[in-house]
Amino acid sequence: MDLKEYSEIKISEIEPILKINLRGKNRNFITKIGKELSIITPVDPNTSSSNEKLNLLWLSPDEWFLYSNDKLGIKDANSLEDKLFNEISKVKLGSVTNVSDHWIMINLKGRKIFELLSTGCPFNFNNFKNSKGAVTQTLLNHIDVIIHNKNVNDLNLFVRRSFSAHLWSWMNDSARFI
Amino acid sequence: MSKDLRIANNRFIDQTSRISFKFDGKTLYGFKGDTLASALLANNIHLVGRSFKYHRPRGIMTCGSEEPNGILQIGNDSSMTEPNTRATEIELYEGLEASSQNCWPSVNFDIGAVNNFFSPLIPAAFYYKTFMWPANFWKLYEYFIRKSAGLGRSPTEPDKDVYDHRYLHCDVLIVGGGISGIIAAKKAAKNNLNTLLIDDKNVLGGTTIFQQNECFKINNSYSNEWLKKEIESLNSFKNLTIKTRTTLAAYHSYNYLLARENLTDHLDLKEKKDKIRQRLLKIRAKKVIIATGAMERPLIFNNNDRPGIILSSSIKKYIDFYGVKCGQKISLFTNNDSAYETAVSLSNRGVSVNSVVDIRDKTNSLIVKQVEKLGIKIHWKSSVVNTNGYKRINSIEIMKLSDDGTAVMGKKINEKCDCLGISGGWTPRVHLFTQSGGKLKFRDVDNVFLPDKSELDQISIGSCNGDFELDELIKNSVNLTNKFLKVNNNDYENLEVVCSKEIDKKNIWLLPSDKPLKKTKSFLDFQNDSTANDIKLALREGFKSIEHVKRYTTTGMATDQGKLSNMHALGIVAETAGVKMGNLGTTTFRPPYTPLTFGAIVGRNVGEFFDIARKTPMHDWHVENKAKFENVGQWKRAWYYPIENENMHEAVQRESKAARDSAGILDASTLGKIDIQGSDASEFLNRVYTNAWSKLEIGKCRYGLMLNEDGMVYDDGVTTRLLENHYLMTTTTGGAANVLSKLEDYLQTEWPELDVYLTSVTDHYGTVSICGPNSKKILSKVIPDLDLSDKEFPHMSFKNALIDNIKCRVMRISFTGEHSYEINIESSYSKSVWEKCFEAGKEFNITPYGTETMHLLRAEKGFIIAGQDTDGTMTPVDLQMDWIISKKKYDFIGKRSLYRSDTIREDRKQLVGLLTEDPKEVLEEGAQIVAERNKKPIEMLGHVTSSYFSPNLNKSIALAVVKNGKKLKGQKMFVPMKNKTINVTITDTVFLDKENKRLNA
Amino acid sequence: MFIINCPYCGERDQSEFSAGGEAHIVRPKQPTELSDDQWAEYLFMRKNIKGVQFERWNHSHGCRKWFNMVRDTSNDKIHAVYKMGEKPPVK
Repeated sequence: MDLKEYSEIKISEIEPILKINLRGKNRNFITKIGKELSIITPVDPNTSSSNEKLNLLWLSPDEWFLYSNDKLGIKDANSLEDKLFNEISKVKLGSVTNVSDHWIMINLKGRKIFELLSTGCPFNFNNFKNSKGAVTQTLLNHIDVIIHNKNVNDLNLFVRRSFSAHLWSWMNDSARFI
Repeated sequence: MSKDLRIANNRFIDQTSRISFKFDGKTLYGFKGDTLASALLANNIHLVGRSFKYHRPRGIMTCGSEEPNGILQIGNDSSMTEPNTRATEIELYEGLEASSQNCWPSVNFDIGAVNNFFSPLIPAAFYYKTFMWPANFWKLYEYFIRKSAGLGRSPTEPDKDVYDHRYLHCDVLIVGGGISGIIAAKKAAKNNLNTLLIDDKNVLGGTTIFQQNECFKINNSYSNEWLKKEIESLNSFKNLTIKTRTTLAAYHSYNYLLARENLTDHLDLKEKKDKIRQRLLKIRAKKVIIATGAMERPLIFNNNDRPGIILSSSIKKYIDFYGVKCGQKISLFTNNDSAYETAVSLSNRGVSVNSVVDIRDKTNSLIVKQVEKLGIKIHWKSSVVNTNGYKRINSIEIMKLSDDGTAVMGKKINEKCDCLGISGGWTPRVHLFTQSGGKLKFRDVDNVFLPDKSELDQISIGSCNGDFELDELIKNSVNLTNKFLKVNNNDYENLEVVCSKEIDKKNIWLLPSDKPLKKTKSFLDFQNDSTANDIKLALREGFKSIEHVKRYTTTGMATDQGKLSNMHALGIVAETAGVKMGNLGTTTFRPPYTPLTFGAIVGRNVGEFFDIARKTPMHDWHVENKAKFENVGQWKRAWYYPIENENMHEAVQRESKAARDSAGILDASTLGKIDIQGSDASEFLNRVYTNAWSKLEIGKCRYGLMLNEDGMVYDDGVTTRLLENHYLMTTTTGGAANVLSKLEDYLQTEWPELDVYLTSVTDHYGTVSICGPNSKKILSKVIPDLDLSDKEFPHMSFKNALIDNIKCRVMRISFTGEHSYEINIESSYSKSVWEKCFEAGKEFNITPYGTETMHLLRAEKGFIIAGQDTDGTMTPVDLQMDWIISKKKYDFIGKRSLYRSDTIREDRKQLVGLLTEDPKEVLEEGAQIVAERNKKPIEMLGHVTSSYFSPNLNKSIALAVVKNGKKLKGQKMFVPMKNKTINVTITDTVFLDKENKRLNA
Repeated sequence: MFIINCPYCGERDQSEFSAGGEAHIVRPKQPTELSDDQWAEYLFMRKNIKGVQFERWNHSHGCRKWFNMVRDTSNDKIHAVYKMGEKPPVK
């Protein structure tokens, strides 16, 4: 899934980066992940926090999604996962699950990306568009996606691997007509 | 083109760009900006079709979506042709081909027209009444009726055009870009609201945009000029989106609206290519303003359907907007003032107006006076009692009306004409309002239904809200919009509006004739050919409800949904039954407002995108190795891998033999996988599975059955204990999403106290399953440092391992009864591990096998497939799996249901094996099983759920559910098929290796 | 198509949600001590009324949380949404 360019839309797959699903309910869990990752755990719905390396996305009141900006070496990735697992899951604070290959990340850039999304997504992007860091989980062409507003007209979209080829091809087909 | 029908110069039609098109094979010319209807009229073509039932010649009657007659077939290409399009809505383009429908051999000579002479024999519901008996003759009747009733041809090949969908979110949606819609749009936009204005025409401004009449002025300008400037001023608003050629199709609750945007229908054939033809807009609006205007009513009198009889307001639009004269000598027939506007327009453009026939007593409004000043004759208190001319009207007969309007009298005047404009008043377009669930109220003074109460955040303004006088329309639109949008400016409040106002109103639903009603043809529904007489007949035959009358006479049931006919049908019913019209209610208007193409509804969900396709990480390998695929849910799973010309049976026989004899390899990545963590994980599993989990050792796997609360088997799979508080659960491929959602449901709602977290990892891991007597040797080549001895790595256990430094989980579990392993590894590496195993297995003839072989292998072992051998009515006991129900556990999902009176019945259907008397005979899945062949009615005891020919046993085997099956082991049964009866014996469900020796082979 | 105000994520299109039947039917703590009739009452009996009804919904394509909704089935008006475990608003 190589970079494709259309009028004011660029679509590219960013691979492979570390992705971890974090779940937990109590305050200790929230402070612990903040500390371990040097990141403020976002507790407001549909928001995220980022530092130079990592992004932490709110998914639900007891679920967060962590992904790295860059590709990490196997060693670094394993050690981050192990560290989190030992500090959280093992001590019964919550769960830590590697989902790096569960999700494919597709980057969308350009002035018309929201038009592209509107061809198959019921979500109202009117406010989302202008709030950097906003996160939404919704449907695109009937497929579950997580969308992270990384920057102005710059989105990271996560789709489950088994759906990714289909969604990729659908997005490219859509982009032709925008 | 007849030059004398086209007047020079107007601003809507580009008379410099000539367009050629074909109608019924003949090449004609029009201009850019014409509709097909206006171009045909400019070519002096009125006759465009034959009526549905009587095959009477019919001509264009309107200029909009309510057109009942100008229903044409567009295009000649077998994939692009489109039936039942309205000529009044088709914009002319170079290369357009149109043809008449419902006539043979041609519109000018139509054999079906004999129906017209037999019409007294074809009353309302003729088809219902005549073709009822004998019932089994219907098949024969239907063939001929369908043939003669055809309206247009469907395309025979796939549509080549591209369609799309788009979601739009706005603060305010304004439907209709007439004068009130424009006022509302400007107010909304000025108020910084995100505004969307849609209109079905290509030019905004409704009917006002071509109203250039001394009697209608705003701030000392003609109303059209004033509105033109207003429309131009809309360009400055960035928060206002205007979509023309966009028809609102449906208005649903929560202000969810569907509209069709036409993008290329007006373009030349060449320009249409590679563009989206139509786009279905899915609009979410916080507020909706309906400004859809009103449509003119026809008048109901004898022979009111001849070509050349046109709504008077349409004649006005054809002359003022398109510059087309509908005739050279035009007569007008009206019950209100609007026909006088037409008279003025025609007269100003040099068309001679014979006379105006008005059913009212003399009236003195501004516009009437203007017509009198022009010297046009007016027949007051008169009616047209008949028209003449077969394929085109050539004269009308006029008589005086009695005082009560029920009869005509005096001398009959014959007036020659080539066109008759009719106006029966106006009907507000309340369709969208009622679609949205709004209730209507009735206004007696001019017999209109108006919007009343609505649950939604919406208003109707302008003539669709019953404002027909320009000054009031503006005043009320402004006030209503201000209030609705909470606007605080005084725009439009000090306008100087001059307009003619109607003083006298009078209405007669069915105009009298000098002939008895039975001898007249007064059409109500032009498209479905039903007459006033039909309505009266229905009432005489006892139909009272308007909904019944509608269905019996088919009035209002054509593709126009009775836009022109409904009010008259209601009026005549009310009058005849002596009921007040307001109390009668209306029929229901349903979406879509105008017909939608299937293309627009489907959008781009065609071909490759018809359904979602999920692929495993090894998908490409399967494709390269010529696998045939099977759809399992949305997954594409390798079904079998034919070599050369093998058919499925041959491939499956080979694959299943190889798996048992040496080694097979299967892609099991589609199984659902759920990562379970938390200190209560074991307790949680105890509650969701029927068996006990607390004592499962770390590193061990266990098979579990999951029930619904009703005790019926829901899903199954193997769960592995990875750590003290960490499990990996697998589910069936099809059940994965539902199982996760069901488990989350219990955790969130019933057992929030449990410390358990679930995360789907289905797509994170690819699963390579290798089985067969040589699987151990193969695995030892792939992971040399893993101890595969039965002692270290027994059946139902798991090991963490590394393949090329990548972590993976290896489970020794088996769905085939063979010694086998499943390697779970991150999806990015799955394909290379698959290839590694395949390489390593080559010396053992490792054979890739698909789902069909997997099903066969497990059936040999009597393993169930949830969803194939179970159907939501089977308990574990029914499946003879009593061993999996823990007796010690206090509770689990479905436990209590297992001893309800119904579930402990002994004669429930139970899972059994079946062997056929002839070992070569393979049963059909779904075939019924009976014990006695001669008893009638035959008692069906059960059915076959799985059936295969087993190459390993060299005989046919089957699983089945049979009433009281457990006790019937050894009994002979019958499977009756279409041409034969198959003898079978009930057996145990396990056909192969009952001692499970092969697991450790 | 409703707009549903998920108590966690805010207003979303109905297509992101799935309906889960009548609300406030608590699973008995000790099912084995119930008679067939009592168990059947829990298992099968649902009101399905025309009018104001309490329902369970799941934001299945969003945060995956279950919540409750008060909806008038006669006109589809949603009167309230509230989290699991919270008390229903007074009628």
